[in-house]
Amino acid sequence: MSKEPGRVVLAAEDIVKTYRSGERRIDVLRGVDLAIREGESVSIRGESGSGKTTLLNILAGLERADAGRLFWQGEQVSGRSLNHLAVRRRGFIGMVFQAYYLVPELNALDNVILAGRIAGKNTRLLRERARALLARVGLAERVDHLPSRLSGGECQRVAIARALINEPPLILADEPTGNLDERTAEDVIDLLLGLCRETRTALVLVTHNAEHARRTSRQCRLHLGRLEA
Amino acid sequence: MPWPLQIAFRQLFPAGKRLPFFTFVAVVGVMLGVAVLIVVLSVMNGFGNQIRRMVVDTQGHVRVDTGGIIYHYNELREKVLAIEGVKAVAPFAQGMVMIQHANRPGFPVIQGIDPRHEAEVVPMERFLKSGALEDLDDDSILLSSGLAADLGARVGSEVEVYSPLVLEKLKRDEIFLPQRMRVVGIFETGWNQIDTNSAICTLRTMQDLYALGKGVHALKVRLQDGVDIDEAVARIQQQLGFPYRATSWLDSNRDFLFVLQLEKNMLMFLLLFIILVASFSITNSLLTTVVRKTREIGLFAALGARTGQVALCFCAQGLFIGVLGTLFGFALAALALHFRNDVIHAFARLTHSEAALLRFYQFANLPAEYSAHDLTVIAVATVIISTLAGVLPAWRAARMRPSEALRSE
Repeated sequence: MSKEPGRVVLAAEDIVKTYRSGERRIDVLRGVDLAIREGESVSIRGESGSGKTTLLNILAGLERADAGRLFWQGEQVSGRSLNHLAVRRRGFIGMVFQAYYLVPELNALDNVILAGRIAGKNTRLLRERARALLARVGLAERVDHLPSRLSGGECQRVAIARALINEPPLILADEPTGNLDERTAEDVIDLLLGLCRETRTALVLVTHNAEHARRTSRQCRLHLGRLEA
Repeated sequence: MPWPLQIAFRQLFPAGKRLPFFTFVAVVGVMLGVAVLIVVLSVMNGFGNQIRRMVVDTQGHVRVDTGGIIYHYNELREKVLAIEGVKAVAPFAQGMVMIQHANRPGFPVIQGIDPRHEAEVVPMERFLKSGALEDLDDDSILLSSGLAADLGARVGSEVEVYSPLVLEKLKRDEIFLPQRMRVVGIFETGWNQIDTNSAICTLRTMQDLYALGKGVHALKVRLQDGVDIDEAVARIQQQLGFPYRATSWLDSNRDFLFVLQLEKNMLMFLLLFIILVASFSITNSLLTTVVRKTREIGLFAALGARTGQVALCFCAQGLFIGVLGTLFGFALAALALHFRNDVIHAFARLTHSEAALLRFYQFANLPAEYSAHDLTVIAVATVIISTLAGVLPAWRAARMRPSEALRSE
C-alpha cells in the first residue's frame, strides 16, 4: 500500500454494460465508478456472473461499455477504436488471467518477452529483463521450459512476469489463483502483491477469495451491477 | 524476426515437439503440386526444344528466296556467307513429284540439294537410317522412312519419278518417260511431317525435273551459335535488299510454335490447380487452427497486438508453407528428373514397351530442360497462392473481439 496517495492511473465513471439474450436484457453493470491510484491495490469480489470479468475487460479496453467514461492516465479512451486501445494498452496495462494464457509453442522466457516484443521493445534488453523477472518469481532454472512442462503455479508466475515486462503502471488480474491449490495460490498472491508493492504498480485483483481480497489496500464488491466499497 | 512471424513459425514448427500433422500434410501437398508442375513443364520444354532443334536441323535458321527462281545463286550464296553471324549456306529447290515403285504410287515433296553444301546446314548423316549420302548422285534418290515403307522400297530399289512437267508434255503430245532412280538411302528426322512423305535428290536432278535450268528456289542459312536470329534476319534482309526475302524459321513455323507454346501454357494453367487444391487444404487447416487458438488470439490483443499483427500470424503460416513446399517441390522435381530415364527404362522393361516407345515417340530417353522463367513463375505463383490461402483464416482471427476470444472454451 502506498503511503501517500499517487496520481490516478485509471478512472471509470458511470460505466454501464447490458447484454441481450433474445428478448431478455441483462444489466451487468449499472453505473460503476472506480478510480485506481498509482501503487494502490484494489480487490473486486462478487458472485459468479456478477460482471467482474466484464468490468475488468472494460477497464482493460478489451470490451466497450454501453455508457460511461474511461480514463487511462488522465486520457479519455472510451470511444476510441479497439486498435488504438490495443496500442495504448501495451505499456500501460499488464494482465494476468485465471487460465494463464501462455503460448504453448513458446518457452517461459519467450512467453515473457512476447509482451515486450508486441510493445516494440528491444529484444536484447527484453531478454535481460525477462531473465531477471523470471528469477524474481523463482523460475530462473526453468526459462527454457515450455508451458506444458510447468506446473499451474509456475505457469501463473510466468504470466505475472509477462505482465510486468513492460513496467506498466497498472496490472489487472482476473482470478489469478482460480486454477491453483490453496498453498500455491497463497504463494502466487504473495508474489503478485509483493511485486506490485516493490514496483509501485497499481493492481486490480478480481477474486472470490476473501483472504486474498483483504490483503489489498482497498476492497470492493460488485453487487447488482454496482461497485460497493 | 517480427513477433507475428515468430508465432507463425513456432505454430508450424513447435520447438521440442514432433512436426504437427497439419504442417506435414500442408507442406507435402504444396510440394507435390510444385514437383508435378516442374517435371511436366521441364519435359514439355525438353520436347519443345528437341522439336525446335529438329526444325532448325531440317530447315536451317533462315530461308532466303524471291518467291520465284534464283539463277545466280552461287554469287548470292557467297554474299550471304559474308554477312556477320552466318555459318553456312546451302541452295535447294523443292516441289512435288509422283514416285512409283512396284505399282505403288507416292506423292512426296522432293528437295534437290547440293550435297557439298547441304551437310554444312543440315546434319543429313545423322538422319540416315540406311545407305550413305556420298552415294547420292544425279540418278539416285533418298527416301524418307515413311515414304519408303509406303512404296515398299529399300536401299537398292529402283523407283520411277514423275514431275509435274509431264502435264506440259502431254499437252504438247510429247512422249514422256519417267526418270528411273535408285534408292541409295532411307532417312528419318523424327519430324513426322517430313518422315512420312519426303524425298531428296541432287540439285541437278531437281533442276531437270522442274525445268529450272541453273536456278534454285531458295537458300537455307545456318547461323553461328549464340547469334540473335531476328537481328541476323534483319542484317541479311538489309544486305540483300529487294527482291530477296529473308525469313527466320520462327516466322516460317509461327503457327506450329504457337500451338507448342499454347499447349505448354495450358498445361501450366491446369496443373496450377493442384496447388490451388493444396491451398484449400491449407485454408481449411488454418481455419481449424484459428478456432483452436482463439484464446491465444485474445491474449495477443490483450497484450496490445493490432488486428493486422494478429492476421499476420496466420497469413505468414500460409507463406511459410508455400516457401517450404516450393523448396521441397524443387528438390523432389530435381530428383525425379535426374532419375527420369532410369524410371522410364524400368517401366518399359517391366511392360515390354521399349520398342513401342522408340517407334511411336521417337525417344528412348525422356528429354527435359529446366527453364528459369518457368521455375520463377512456379515459385512466385505457389508462394502467392499459399499466402492467399492464409488470408481467410487471418481475416477471421483479426475480426475476433478480444474479450470474446479470451472467454472462449
